[in-house]
Amino acid sequence: MNVHSSQSRLRSVATTLAVALTLTLAAAAGCDSRQQPDLPSVQEKLRESHIYGLSKLRIGVATNEPLMGELRNGQHVGFDVEIGRYVAASLGFEGDQRLEFVSVATEDRIPALQGGTVDLVVSSFSMTEERKKLVSFAGPYFVTTQEVMVAARLKDRIRTIEDLRDPAYRVCTSGGSTTEAELEKHQVKTFVVKDVGDCVEGIRKGRYDAVSSDESILAGFLASFPKDFEIVDMPFGTSELLGIGVPIGDPALRDLVAFFLQKSYEQGRDGDASPWQTAYNRTLGPWLKAEKRQPQPLEVPKLVDFDDKAPSK
Amino acid sequence: MSAAPTATGGDGPVPPPRTSAPADETGPPTASPNVVDDVDWPAGVPVAEPAEPVLADVQPGRVRWDPAERRARASQSFWTAVVGVPAIFSVLRLGVEAGGELQTTLLLVANVGPVNLLAGFLTTAARLLSTGLVAVFALGAVLAVSADRLPAGSRRRPLFARWADITPAWVVLASFLLALITWPLLYLPLLLPAFVAAFQLRPARLHDQVIPRLLMLAALLAGYAWLLLPTLREASKQGEWLVLALIVVPPVLALFVAGPLPGMVIRPLASLTEMAVLATLVWAAVPVISTPVLPLTVTTVGPESGPTEDVRGHVVTTDDVNMVILQERGGVRYVPVELVRAQVLCPSEEELPRHQLRVHDFHVEDSLLEGMGRRVRPVHRIDAACRAPA
Repeated sequence: MNVHSSQSRLRSVATTLAVALTLTLAAAAGCDSRQQPDLPSVQEKLRESHIYGLSKLRIGVATNEPLMGELRNGQHVGFDVEIGRYVAASLGFEGDQRLEFVSVATEDRIPALQGGTVDLVVSSFSMTEERKKLVSFAGPYFVTTQEVMVAARLKDRIRTIEDLRDPAYRVCTSGGSTTEAELEKHQVKTFVVKDVGDCVEGIRKGRYDAVSSDESILAGFLASFPKDFEIVDMPFGTSELLGIGVPIGDPALRDLVAFFLQKSYEQGRDGDASPWQTAYNRTLGPWLKAEKRQPQPLEVPKLVDFDDKAPSK
Repeated sequence: MSAAPTATGGDGPVPPPRTSAPADETGPPTASPNVVDDVDWPAGVPVAEPAEPVLADVQPGRVRWDPAERRARASQSFWTAVVGVPAIFSVLRLGVEAGGELQTTLLLVANVGPVNLLAGFLTTAARLLSTGLVAVFALGAVLAVSADRLPAGSRRRPLFARWADITPAWVVLASFLLALITWPLLYLPLLLPAFVAAFQLRPARLHDQVIPRLLMLAALLAGYAWLLLPTLREASKQGEWLVLALIVVPPVLALFVAGPLPGMVIRPLASLTEMAVLATLVWAAVPVISTPVLPLTVTTVGPESGPTEDVRGHVVTTDDVNMVILQERGGVRYVPVELVRAQVLCPSEEELPRHQLRVHDFHVEDSLLEGMGRRVRPVHRIDAACRAPA
């Protein structure tokens, strides 16, 4: 009898505890449901960035790099332009009314960002340590290698970096590019001009013999003049990571751009048609020797967005 | 006796006033209280029931209803509440949605149909409603089984216990079902102890013998663990301790929650939970009232070839001439229909998730209904216009 009564007492104490704990948990759940997310949201980052409330987003692009950034019949076209369009649309700037492409020469990319003439630069902009002191980068969105393109008549004579050092050949490159520094490292004397397009024009006119730049840029010119040129595979060794240039004073915008590049990367990885893949197929894809995929962006922040609850598969 | 002369005069016997008892020689014996007291009634004579409720002699001031009457009244008040509460809430919501402006409220009243209003209210309030009902029924059942242990002298059963007593089981079951499909997955484990409490399901109900009972419990818990183990791992990786507790603790509590409480805690628990449930309902009703009635859209407005403008707000109505938009930042805008270039539906920031956890690809903050909906329409693209500031 005594045992039974103490068991019953124990039982009722356990019930009391269980009821109290359930109520506590329910209260905690109720409070939790009214809290703000711990992670910053895309909207918050947008509000922090300098582009919030702008009527137009200005993106700096190249105008004379076929396939990458080109001005054709007054329209900006190319891979960089498509990527810029995707990023702009993700940031809330869609359509010609809200988006303006600004022509920026290779050497003007950093000053344009610093001076505020453009909000973003998508123009075969290699991410280097030196440049990171002046501007921020989101990306990479493309990995390319340095190549040399020679006039078709010289394709058998210029085969190695050694050949380039021969003072008989006039090597041309664009100023302020990573190629310029790389060639200097290999003690290749170069003629520095404003844009790669000027080099190509010069070779066609007989002023230069070879041009060195990113594979993607050279592929564009080869596509324009397939009979005049030949790309020579040279072991420059370093790969170029192309990123989207952002003003250094706007980390929120950098985070957002990196976040949206990551979103496209994840879509492509899951086998869906990603914006990157669409841009690539429409521009560079048919002209590159080897198939490329979107590289994984670096330093991507975790942000909360409206579609986070969507099923992942 | 009352032999005072009246206006009729005369020397015959004067009829007595109506209110007083008639004279013994004229009226029937039943009419005279003096006689009633003295006469023994034969058996079988029915006693007339009063049409009005009896004013109880024992407890002055209290009305004793007959049970059928009481049920009818309860059912009446129930349906009044079912229809009235949503209606009042909906009208209140319109006022809040209109930004407190009388004219805007009237515009909304004129254009939002009652059915839409009620459906919109139920969409947002189903969660709150089921939470309130589940809490009342679970607490009520626990208090009801404990009521006989109440200290002597307090005869009155707790309010929730009385509610739980008079509610049919199917209503209780229906509220649990409503909660099951509308609560976020993260909070569903809490439904387990609540269900066990509401129906007082002790583990002993599983099987008479101890060993099979333990085996069945182990199997149930193993199934639960299998379902939630990946989520638990991810939650501990993210340091979400509340989520861990919300998933792990409730099934354990469910084992003990059924059963009577000690007599001394019943009264304090009853009053405390009554206040807590009331406070929670009020606290949770505020967001329900302020949730918009109409969907949020961004309308691009502008002439054919000219600058455009994005108007962020809720479309109230569209006719041949104007589209009426209640702007998000306040005020009503009449946009000529021919100027409307585009329109997109936008999510609101309250819908942003707080946790980055999933249960078998269902987001923990989605309800079962929402999760299933996302499977039907998995792709959800946020339009660029939705990102633009209001």
